[in-house]
Amino acid sequence: MRRSIDYGLLTVVALLIVLHFALRPWLGSPRAAPDFLLLALLVYAIQARPGAAAIAGFVVGILSDALTPVAFGSGMLAYTVVGYLAAWGKAIFFAENLVVMAGFFFAGTVVRDVLVLLWGGQVTGGALLWQLGVWTLLKGLTTAVVGVGALLVFRNWLHVRLRE
Amino acid sequence: MPDRFTSRWDTLAFVGCLLVSMIARVTPEPIQTRVASAVRGSLLAPLLAVQRQAELFKTSRARSAALVTQRDDAARSALDIESVREENLRLRRLLGLHERLSVPHVSAEVLHQSSPVDGLTLLLAAGSDAGVRPMSPILTPDGLLGVVRSVDRDHAVAVIWPHPDFRAGAMTEDGEAFGIVAPSNAGGRGRLLLELHGVPYLKVLQPGTRLYTAGFGEVYPRGIPIGRVLAIADETVGLARSYLVEPAAHPASVAHVIILLRPRGDLADAFVEPGS
Repeated sequence: MRRSIDYGLLTVVALLIVLHFALRPWLGSPRAAPDFLLLALLVYAIQARPGAAAIAGFVVGILSDALTPVAFGSGMLAYTVVGYLAAWGKAIFFAENLVVMAGFFFAGTVVRDVLVLLWGGQVTGGALLWQLGVWTLLKGLTTAVVGVGALLVFRNWLHVRLRE
Repeated sequence: MPDRFTSRWDTLAFVGCLLVSMIARVTPEPIQTRVASAVRGSLLAPLLAVQRQAELFKTSRARSAALVTQRDDAARSALDIESVREENLRLRRLLGLHERLSVPHVSAEVLHQSSPVDGLTLLLAAGSDAGVRPMSPILTPDGLLGVVRSVDRDHAVAVIWPHPDFRAGAMTEDGEAFGIVAPSNAGGRGRLLLELHGVPYLKVLQPGTRLYTAGFGEVYPRGIPIGRVLAIADETVGLARSYLVEPAAHPASVAHVIILLRPRGDLADAFVEPGS
């Protein structure tokens, strides 16, 4: 039973990672398109212990820093914190409710962007405010929508019991 | 539920990952570049190949739509999708620049990423196998976009003009005023601007004055459009002025670029589009 749950989770995470590279280029402005890589981490964090989610976040952060090496290390830190907090918070606070899950994905995107931008320190002033106030919120919304869709489609594989 | 709360192992894993992240942040840049390059060349290689195929397929779709539209007027309304039309227009302009450039160059797809700092650097789908080297200039049909910072076999990382490290020697169209352009913090509402520093005080630039690369040094050849003067940004009375500049090329919308392999000469003529 436990093994089948793990395979389902791994399949969904792998699918989201592939979609990040195969589908995302088709979804309009890269600044607002949903972040499937972050979604893969958050979906994993729902099922994982905080330590394992932190390590998964760290690995996703290395990938992110390799793809956008503006401030190397800021992605690792941001994804580590998001992974850890997501697993910890999910265990303590969150009900399995569609709106709450959408907020969970939205908050994960916002926290990741805030940490990358502030820890990196390369974007400042008006550009920083614009990024956080517009693009981060848009990306958070699109990521939340796709995340809820993924939970609905794969709820049996992920063993999520959603209450609407 | 209690087994989901953090254990000592969880805390150790979290703190360990944070420590490594902080060490990575302060590690010297050559080591960072080597690690990033190794990750792109191993773990990410198949995924970046998928993304490149997706970009190529998107391009093919735009070309195909243009061909069908030319062939069949009835299909025009069905295929006149705004995004496809824009993509097709961008490709045509890039092709035009490609034909007019007299120096060796290659074109490359831009592999945009989801990080909020995408646009300060861009990942390009051309590397050392295509002859790309560090410090190769990156162009769009509108003008200068940036310069290559590091190169793998199949990919290159470019520093784009909003990056704090970006600098380029600039001159006016008449070649009478020179300065250095760097990114500016004066923009607002998502409007990223450049700033032209060090213009002699007695040389006043009017709004709308076009700026081009000056061809100082070995990096940028002369004559690549940089942008247009907007207004005075700052002045040191009697010595020099700096000006806000509206950049010619915008990183967020760019899907394909041209990388100059052996930058030399004056390229101003290549940016004059026929009929303009």
